[in-house]
Amino acid sequence: MAAINLTKMDKEIIQKIIDHGGKGITKCIQCNACASVCPVAKAGFPLYGRLLFRKIQTGHFEEIIEDSSSWACQACNRCTEICPRDAKPFEIVFAFRRIQANELAISTSAFTPLMNLHATGHAVYSEASKELRQKVGLPAVPVTSIANEKAQEEIRTLLDNSPMGELGIF
Amino acid sequence: MEKCGIYLGCNIPFRAPDIEHSFYKVFPALGMEIVDMEGATCCPAWGTAPSFDIDTWLAVSGRNITIAEDKNVDIMTGCNSCFGVMSEAKHLIDHDPARKKTVDKNLALIDRKYKGDSEIYHVSHVLYKNIGIEKIRENVKYTLKQLKIAVQPGCHILWPSEVMAVKEKNSFFPTILKELCEVLGAEVPHYSKLNACCGMGAMRSTDQVRSIGLVKEKLVNMKEEIAPDMIVTTCSSCYLQFDGAQKILKEKGEIDFEIPVFYYTQLLALCMGFDPKNVAAISETPRDAIIQKIQSEARLLN
Repeated sequence: MAAINLTKMDKEIIQKIIDHGGKGITKCIQCNACASVCPVAKAGFPLYGRLLFRKIQTGHFEEIIEDSSSWACQACNRCTEICPRDAKPFEIVFAFRRIQANELAISTSAFTPLMNLHATGHAVYSEASKELRQKVGLPAVPVTSIANEKAQEEIRTLLDNSPMGELGIF
Repeated sequence: MEKCGIYLGCNIPFRAPDIEHSFYKVFPALGMEIVDMEGATCCPAWGTAPSFDIDTWLAVSGRNITIAEDKNVDIMTGCNSCFGVMSEAKHLIDHDPARKKTVDKNLALIDRKYKGDSEIYHVSHVLYKNIGIEKIRENVKYTLKQLKIAVQPGCHILWPSEVMAVKEKNSFFPTILKELCEVLGAEVPHYSKLNACCGMGAMRSTDQVRSIGLVKEKLVNMKEEIAPDMIVTTCSSCYLQFDGAQKILKEKGEIDFEIPVFYYTQLLALCMGFDPKNVAAISETPRDAIIQKIQSEARLLN
């Protein structure tokens, strides 16, 4: 079998995966145990764990940067539980997702929960919840950040001062 | 442990507040005081900060944890995703000094300090480990005898077991929820897709067709193998998926049956005699008939 000669750029991408939390990328031996338990693979998404890692390891990063499969990852961590190399596949998938996110190579729908989080402290919120809560005998709003200006200021301070604040999402 | 901070997350207070109300009914009645976590935010959900920057994720989770620390209580969460996000965040903060240093720096911006002395539990852990099966047995008024339950523990309560304060003996054959249902008198048979994913969460927002495909497989498997009277879960995301997807599948003619779905504390509250108008009043898949059956005179225990 011919050896794969990685370019300097390919090696930089592997380092980038490590820097974004996927340090196990160098441990993966392509055994496919992760994919055997992966809901993303089971549901038929094209770029599930093992294959994604193969593309990264062999210098095919540019052809996968816009694939949305990684965004279907539930973070269920079945893969982490069984990986015989302790590569923590979930961490590599999320490292790839972070690179996609920071290059804005993602669907715009991914931004709605983020904007909700910035505005209210909750990724999921709907005004209709007030009626639902009262229907079951609870106050219209819970004691969370939704009715707490100080909490909302705190969350905005954390987000605005983070690297996410520089992406122009908020 | 006689009291515990209740971390609500987003889905429970805003989409299924009857689950929230079931916490307020069940825990004090079983001797566990519930402490509010004022100003708690989203955990933050996997698709938000954890998908962009690890340190921002840890700062937001860390902030939530400080709310419980300041009240000297552990945290109990009813949402599996919140449980997974915060358990992993706590594990990273507690085991990686460089991450901890960055969390300290970020939380200093809002005058908060992470100490690391509040543990993170799931609602089912507190019921199973702290309150215990016997205490639950003593407080049940209606028995579920001759009713069959399909259990759905949900993913984020099981894996990665390394970061969790309470572990199953074998995370691929979980038994905690099974035991919690059996003590109510129900039969809880095994079905072969017990540990399969329901397809909710990130998959549902990325590709609804594939997501619903996973839950359909699981529903059909349950129906064929054990024909349950109800599905019981300890995950609010699984709850929303099983409850909502059945309506979609039925309208499309892809299934010809309906199985009522409960979050575990809703069912427990019903068995303890609490009013369904408070604890089990919102669902897409009808459950009035089974609720009536559960709270019937014939099922009253002495």
